[in-house]
Amino acid sequence: MEELKTVEMNPLDENSEYETFQYIVIKLGSEQYGIDIKYIDNIVRMQHITRVPKVADYLKGVINLRGEVIPVMSLRLKMELEADEITKATRIIILKLEQHGTIGIMVDAVKEVVTLRSDEIEKVTYDAKEDKINFVNGIGKNGNELISILDLNAVAIEK
Amino acid sequence: MDVNQYLEIFLDETKEHLENLNAQILRLEQEPEDVDTINEIFRAAHSMKGMAGTMGYKRMQTLTHDMENVFSEIRNGTMKVSSDLIDTLFQCLDALEEYNNNIQEEANEGTNDNQALISKLNNYLKASGKGEAVPKESAPAEAAVSSAVSDGAEEKWQDIKLGESELSVLQAAKDGGKNIYGLTVFINENCFLKAARAFLVYKAVEESAEIMVSNPSAQDIEDEKFELDFSLIIISDDTLDNILQAVRSVSEIDKALGGVYELPAAQDTEVVEIVETAEQKPEAAGTPQNQAAPAKAADKKGSGKPVVNRTVRVDIEKLDVLMNLVSELIIAKNSLVSASTDERSSNSGFNEQIEYLESVTTNLHESVMKVRMVPIESVVNKFPRMIRDLSKKLDKKMELYMSGEETELDRTVVDEIGDPLMHLLRNAADHGLESAEVRRQKGKPEVGSIFLEAYQDGNNVVIEVRDDGGGIDVEAVKQKAIDREIITQEQSESMSEKDIINLLFHAGFSTSKKITDISGRGVGLDVVKSKIESLSGEVEVKSKMGEGSTWIIRLPLTLAIIQALMVIVGGEKYAISLGSIQTIEDVSPDEIKLVQNREVIHLRGSVIPIIRLSEELDIESSKAPDENLVVVIVKKGENLAGLVVDELMGQQEIVIKSLGKYISKCKIISGATILGDGEVALILDANALI
Repeated sequence: MEELKTVEMNPLDENSEYETFQYIVIKLGSEQYGIDIKYIDNIVRMQHITRVPKVADYLKGVINLRGEVIPVMSLRLKMELEADEITKATRIIILKLEQHGTIGIMVDAVKEVVTLRSDEIEKVTYDAKEDKINFVNGIGKNGNELISILDLNAVAIEK
Repeated sequence: MDVNQYLEIFLDETKEHLENLNAQILRLEQEPEDVDTINEIFRAAHSMKGMAGTMGYKRMQTLTHDMENVFSEIRNGTMKVSSDLIDTLFQCLDALEEYNNNIQEEANEGTNDNQALISKLNNYLKASGKGEAVPKESAPAEAAVSSAVSDGAEEKWQDIKLGESELSVLQAAKDGGKNIYGLTVFINENCFLKAARAFLVYKAVEESAEIMVSNPSAQDIEDEKFELDFSLIIISDDTLDNILQAVRSVSEIDKALGGVYELPAAQDTEVVEIVETAEQKPEAAGTPQNQAAPAKAADKKGSGKPVVNRTVRVDIEKLDVLMNLVSELIIAKNSLVSASTDERSSNSGFNEQIEYLESVTTNLHESVMKVRMVPIESVVNKFPRMIRDLSKKLDKKMELYMSGEETELDRTVVDEIGDPLMHLLRNAADHGLESAEVRRQKGKPEVGSIFLEAYQDGNNVVIEVRDDGGGIDVEAVKQKAIDREIITQEQSESMSEKDIINLLFHAGFSTSKKITDISGRGVGLDVVKSKIESLSGEVEVKSKMGEGSTWIIRLPLTLAIIQALMVIVGGEKYAISLGSIQTIEDVSPDEIKLVQNREVIHLRGSVIPIIRLSEELDIESSKAPDENLVVVIVKKGENLAGLVVDELMGQQEIVIKSLGKYISKCKIISGATILGDGEVALILDANALI
């Protein structure tokens, strides 16, 4: 399993003592998750998703993003949460991953962009023998709030 | 001269020449006396040599040069074509291809001199006792003058080829009582400014002689585009000794060899009058040295690695058509603009323009596709040669018959199809064909036949690889599959013959009893299959025990844009490629019969299984069960099937977009397309459904 390896990150502010990273904070129910901004290509509003038959249930289908056909998955279903409830706040985040190409993930809402210093992020370690895929590889502290940092490779990997 | 800009053309042309040579040499082996073939070979080898020379690829040039000498002997009828000779020539072609690949990848020809091949070629030349050997024999006669070394290979001036005009000038000079010498000068390999030394040699020679011909050319020498030696043909009143003395007096010269240049006998009759040219010529050859600038050489090496793109050679007519269409497109756009600004214009004028625009874009698409199409010839041409090699290696007699080489396919497909085809051919040669002995026992002709046939079938191109060998031993395959635990004993009993044969495409399967370096590593057929599937094609095999097997590859004509029928199933839109559709039928529910628990319809004498798309696609049909069914009859090879849809939307030209590897698991969906309203519709793969 490779999910425990944190992805290589670039310091954004060379002057500060710690490296800083920028995350987009998204909401799934009441929980907040952070997605490293450098993998995000685009954030689009919910649109018609064309269903693709005979694929895993978390794969909702494909959308047309400016002439490109892009697969979209439900982050909720992938993480084995309740099914999405489409609201006005629902967004599709288009990720560009080296290994998996471009994919979109559906989230309940996009909240904000935060900048976290590396000392504000706590690594999470798991027992490698555990069967369940761990989607979180760190916890960021932003003021009083906690943000779970998503491991995008674990999200994108096919079960 | 900056040759980098010509690199692409050079590579393309060299490839063409190599293919041509391969094909022609094969023919030469069969018809050693055919003058046309020999001439063709000679021409190809000659232009290749010229090109390599111009581009500064010395090793390539040397090799082609020696090959050319051999061809010239064959052409003159002084050398007989033997199987050995053909083998050697093929090895030379392989070496040349290697140079070419090296050039493509690294922009230089590599360092392999292929001395072994060259000396082999020279042995043939010596054995023939003529041609190059003639000047060599004359060399010893002059041995007294041409100090010590009389090794033909070093006296490169003997290799200089002269044009007719030069020969006539030389003849004139000779008739005028002058001496004609050949010189080869070797510069010390530690010499720093080769061009400058060469210049000094030129100067020394010109004090007492006129330089007629120089190899490499004066220009190349000036640009330092030569290794360590260069050769000259000179006209002089002086003795050879004096000239050599003058040359050797230049420092950093290792060796200077020389001899009397014998004019070819055939030229003797051509006593030509023009003496003026005799004066001009040496001048022309001599002038560049006045501006000798050795420093120039440096900038050539600085230029980085050229990126050689894949190219398609386009018929100029096709480009003209494209150009016309584009101008029409502009006109259509302009009329649309004016129609939209002109308020009085009626709606009908607008529609007219849109129709016009549509026809232009359709034509434009077709023409662009045509530009991308290349005949599969470029791929299959190397196969006769391969079969010949295999025949020797396997010690089986076989013959390859090809047809339909002119069939055109998209360039991307043509580039990819070579390996799978090669694999199938090797399989046919190694596993398919029996040994001559077995064949004799079975009463078959001793020479096995392999057929490679390509033809267009609707929207597909079909390539068949057929052999008249033993066919596939179904029992052996079954046993092997059980041994390898690909299937269980029980499974094997319920499997049809066809299913068992299809096991051959299973990864890690090889029935060959012994592994040869030709086939049988067990990584073959599954790779073939996946390659062809990645090209949206399919592969099928038919086999009859004792009579041979046929491998059928079916490929789509073009990849990007297709005509499709849009249908609606349970409220969702799907596209079915028009190429696979036979007819569309309206069927009442009571016409559906059950055969072996499968739904079929009886249509014009044939029983056709029907597939309810709503079930395949996991969606509720929007039609009531008692309503008439819309059945789209599709064809895959010889099989028909009826697809039940809810509604037909109509025919449309669609652009195929890949679903990406992320959703590639769904076999019945071959891709997606974007409709006019921006919605994504999936493309059904009728072949996968059947």
